[in-house]
Amino acid sequence: MTLRARSVAIGLHAFVSLWTLFVLVPVFVMVISAFKSQAELFTRPLALPRQFSFAAFERAWGIGISGFLVNSLLVTALSVLFIVIASSLAAYVLARSDKPVMRWVYVAIVAGFAVPLQSVMVPLYQLVSSAGLLNSRLAIALPYAAYGIPFTTMLFYTFFLEFPRELEEAARLDGCGRIEVFFRIVLPLSGPVIASAAIFQAVFNWNEFILALLMLTKTDVRTLPVGIYGLTGQYSADWPALMAGLAIATVPLIVIFLLAQRHFVRSLAGLGK
Amino acid sequence: MAPSLTSTLGDTGKRPVLNAGNISASAMMAPALILVGVFILIPAAVAVIGSFFDFGMTSATWTFVGGANYRRAVTDPLFWLAISNNIFIVIGSVVSQVGGGAILAAILDRGIRRGSVVYRTIIFMPVVISSIAVAFVWMLILDPNVGPLNAIVKTLGLSPPRLGWLGDPAISLWMLLLIAAWQNVGFQMMLILAGLQAIPKEHYEAASLDGARGLKAFWYITLPGIRNVLVLATLITVIGGFKVFDLVFVTTGGGPANATQVLGTYTYTQAFSFGNMGYANAMAVVLLVTAALLGWLQVRLSRRA
Repeated sequence: MTLRARSVAIGLHAFVSLWTLFVLVPVFVMVISAFKSQAELFTRPLALPRQFSFAAFERAWGIGISGFLVNSLLVTALSVLFIVIASSLAAYVLARSDKPVMRWVYVAIVAGFAVPLQSVMVPLYQLVSSAGLLNSRLAIALPYAAYGIPFTTMLFYTFFLEFPRELEEAARLDGCGRIEVFFRIVLPLSGPVIASAAIFQAVFNWNEFILALLMLTKTDVRTLPVGIYGLTGQYSADWPALMAGLAIATVPLIVIFLLAQRHFVRSLAGLGK
Repeated sequence: MAPSLTSTLGDTGKRPVLNAGNISASAMMAPALILVGVFILIPAAVAVIGSFFDFGMTSATWTFVGGANYRRAVTDPLFWLAISNNIFIVIGSVVSQVGGGAILAAILDRGIRRGSVVYRTIIFMPVVISSIAVAFVWMLILDPNVGPLNAIVKTLGLSPPRLGWLGDPAISLWMLLLIAAWQNVGFQMMLILAGLQAIPKEHYEAASLDGARGLKAFWYITLPGIRNVLVLATLITVIGGFKVFDLVFVTTGGGPANATQVLGTYTYTQAFSFGNMGYANAMAVVLLVTAALLGWLQVRLSRRA
């Protein structure tokens, strides 16, 4: 390598390394602050804690994080289940039908993709509250599902277009109905796309804030993001406990992302397809 | 559903499987259509209708006011301030996120071999962190009393802003831009990287034979090759800039003195703090129309790309 090429290479490496460091610092601050005492957070903000103390985690757990964690798990699991079932069923019919009306159905579902949650806050809140479904962890999974369906339907649709029809036709000849073909043949062979869709939507719903803020007004039904937000009013000075709560909400996602990165990125790439 | 039922009756009974299939086709569509209809499309229509009425959060009576809510928006300086803040965030995000993402992607695609996966993974990581966690961690970092940034700035012998990084109206919006870039650059990087990697290696080899290397190759091969992806990345960023809510809501709540007020937070405040549901709907419709137009473009583009 010439000297010039080498210095360019060093410069490029430096830029990427600096941004990587910039990304890591806040995550590092969150984790180390969760193990510190309030005094140490103040006196040595960037240093490693002198001794790793779980006191902040205990405080966070005690003031409600444990309940939020259960609520988040429940809401996320339920909504992802709804999204995968509803989207795959719809996408399968859309990908296999050549009726003109199906084009409109596809447009109607995908149109949901363009509607921002913020722009329907008022009617959605009134709909849910007049139906008496505020503060229900089961009910909030329904709008969560609705907002995941347009993107997931597009994702499944592209996948089903390329799915080999010969398998389905063989099953049909054996007397299987459309629903049977779908559940016995198509779905079991759709593992990768199901995983991509589920992981992507799980991250999204685990982190969702606006709907939870509107619909879950009682502390005991709140999910992690809105639950932690609600606690900061009362415990605003307790930074270590806040960081411990955020670490509990965040670290599982980072671990899942590291393990299933491939699936996650593939789903993202669906945005570009 | 009805046509397939009648055709079953009129059928000679030879192909019951197909007709059963037609009935279940509608049934299979139903969950997705009902959920999207009830929770997205109908509320969107109600928001449009509601923007011509005046009503409170719990009041059952809607008073028709025509275009009054829109006229109110046009004459409300805070509405325009919110819009201009959105536009500031949109432009700043396109420059920092699409620009930064493109530079990182270009380096990771061709400049760096060793450790490229590690860099990629770390830079992408913030995308999976909730914006609430991002907001609070950055509030700690930027905190005037306990924040590490102030400590660093002071050790360098400089003086941090007296009102705090988020409390100073002149810089708070810039801080939000920085935080948004921290969270989203990895997303744009991945999107653009996928585009770069789809360019066939042979194109570069052929160009190199013709004497096109370095910047020339970038201009004639790389750029045309990722044009669609760049447009898509820009669209996604623009939509995100208009929709921004969580980060602003948690860090500044639209303050100080409305310096970071955006359409999302202002709509929320009008609706749920002041109870002006009709006015909130009118502003929501402005956001809805903007996002719908851009979203429609995005769907079209992404099917072509």
